Amino acid sequence: MSHNDDEFYVGYLPEAPAGIAAHVKRSILLILLLAAGVAGALAALQSPFDPGAFEFGIDRTFEGVLLEHPYPLLVVDDGEYPGSHLLVAFGKFGAESLTAGHDGKRVRITGSRIWNDQEQMIEVHELEPLGDARQSLAGGMELGTFSFTGEIVDSKCHLGVMKPGRGKPHKACAILCIRGGVPPVLRVESESGELSYLFLVDEQGNAVNDRVLEMIAEPVEIHGEVERRGDVLTLRADPASYKLL
Amino acid sequence: MSAGYQAVLWNRQKKRYDLTILAGILLYIGLFVGLGAALRPEATPETLIIRAFGTLALLMLHVILSVGPLARLDRRFLPLLYNRRHLGVSMFLCALVHGAFSMIQFHALGDVNPLVSLLAGNPQYASISAFPFQTLGFVALGILFLMAATSHDFWLANLSAPVWKALHMLVYVAYLLLVLHVALGILQTERNLVLIGLLVGGFGWIVTLHLVAGFREKPGDAPHRGDVIDGYLHACAVADIKDKRARIVCISGERVAIFRNGDTISAVSNACQHQNGPLGEGRIVDGCITCPWHGYQYEPETGASPPPFTEKIPTFNVRVVSGEVYVDPEPNPAGQRAEPAPIRGSS
Repeated sequence: MSHNDDEFYVGYLPEAPAGIAAHVKRSILLILLLAAGVAGALAALQSPFDPGAFEFGIDRTFEGVLLEHPYPLLVVDDGEYPGSHLLVAFGKFGAESLTAGHDGKRVRITGSRIWNDQEQMIEVHELEPLGDARQSLAGGMELGTFSFTGEIVDSKCHLGVMKPGRGKPHKACAILCIRGGVPPVLRVESESGELSYLFLVDEQGNAVNDRVLEMIAEPVEIHGEVERRGDVLTLRADPASYKLL
Repeated sequence: MSAGYQAVLWNRQKKRYDLTILAGILLYIGLFVGLGAALRPEATPETLIIRAFGTLALLMLHVILSVGPLARLDRRFLPLLYNRRHLGVSMFLCALVHGAFSMIQFHALGDVNPLVSLLAGNPQYASISAFPFQTLGFVALGILFLMAATSHDFWLANLSAPVWKALHMLVYVAYLLLVLHVALGILQTERNLVLIGLLVGGFGWIVTLHLVAGFREKPGDAPHRGDVIDGYLHACAVADIKDKRARIVCISGERVAIFRNGDTISAVSNACQHQNGPLGEGRIVDGCITCPWHGYQYEPETGASPPPFTEKIPTFNVRVVSGEVYVDPEPNPAGQRAEPAPIRGSS
């Protein structure tokens, strides 16, 4: 590299020698161009995120019939957002403590919506009992026995609170959420990229949160019975039979 | 220099340096978040902030680790070295934003302390692919914090140069931890060959640059062999040294900088007391040996900084015989005067 070897830089002097100053300007320009290129490339190379949204800070009111088991669910029969809404609490917690004792009852819930193209959820902030339901809800419909390969994620983050709400970077968070009572769900992606979600329960239809913690965010195969209850699909299988792939 | 301590001894070059850092940070974050939000409108602001600041901190660390060897290979990079500690502190702050947002996003509002969640939430320490990569980032952030907190001459003086230097060499441990943090973390989900190539390429660049600079440096450590007269070792010819400059010779395992100051020759230890900068690659400016790294100055004949500064380095006794320079291998105590050897009139 040819340059004027007589030039000498002293940082506390007001001006750098001309040749050194020119070289530094070129170097800084190159570094800034590199930084801009890296920023652009990394931003563009991010994989698409799963659909979903969380209305953080926006409270809405929902009325419907509450089901406590296996995971708290509100069936809304009218209004702007009809259908089945899974219920969770603020932070990384399920809504069991808020919904206890209201199974089969009509309630009014104030909370924030979380949803994607298939499922709806409410982060419950207030719950007001309205009395007994006018009619009981129909039971679940069995759809058959199937095997699925996918990833166990926590439904709250995955439905829209976090992007991505899956994969290794999110694993510790998913463990906290599922241990805290957020319903675990099997995320299944078809070869064509279509996503489906199956809420996990054991053979008796009970919650399995504490029994799936070691398999969260790992590829897993589950063989079990699929049941539709409202808009929600559940996969009934003994967690001990889940296979880590 | 160390007549007293201030938070920052601002000068024009440092202000321009810091404004450039700020502009670079704003450019990167603006581009990443702006483009990320445009291309991935479904992304949350938290994710874009975490990713923007994390990748920026790693990029800045690559620049920081490149500056040293680049300056060894080409002196014109020395202005980038002059205020590198501000670049280091800025990089730590970017890493802190990444770490703080990640801690709140992934580990707060749960049933355990966020720190417990971070360190023990994923207990698969025996697995490579499932390894809890957050711990690696957390330890690296701790090292970067220690470095940023002690990145001041007050700590350099009070911790002593060897301790301070050892502490700041931990940057290489932090870098390695961060490479693993990325490889075992986000790259386990974002398996894009370009991303993997960028990480591997960056690591290869840092390793190669250090090896090249190290090999270039190595001959300077070869022990000098020459004639001995009255215990003085022949070092070089006077004609080998340009005026106001030095020649570096390795004597008794230590690099000695032999300076020509007009009609006289003086020799001092090559290591600046400040950060072990190579004084022999400096110049004599205003009658003082001036370190090329941060401009610390020493009088050639005493090795002492001009008052009111208090730094001192060892001097060596020298002789000039028939145009040849001879150096006493025994150093004098730091700051002890050694009579400059006149070039002319020597026998």
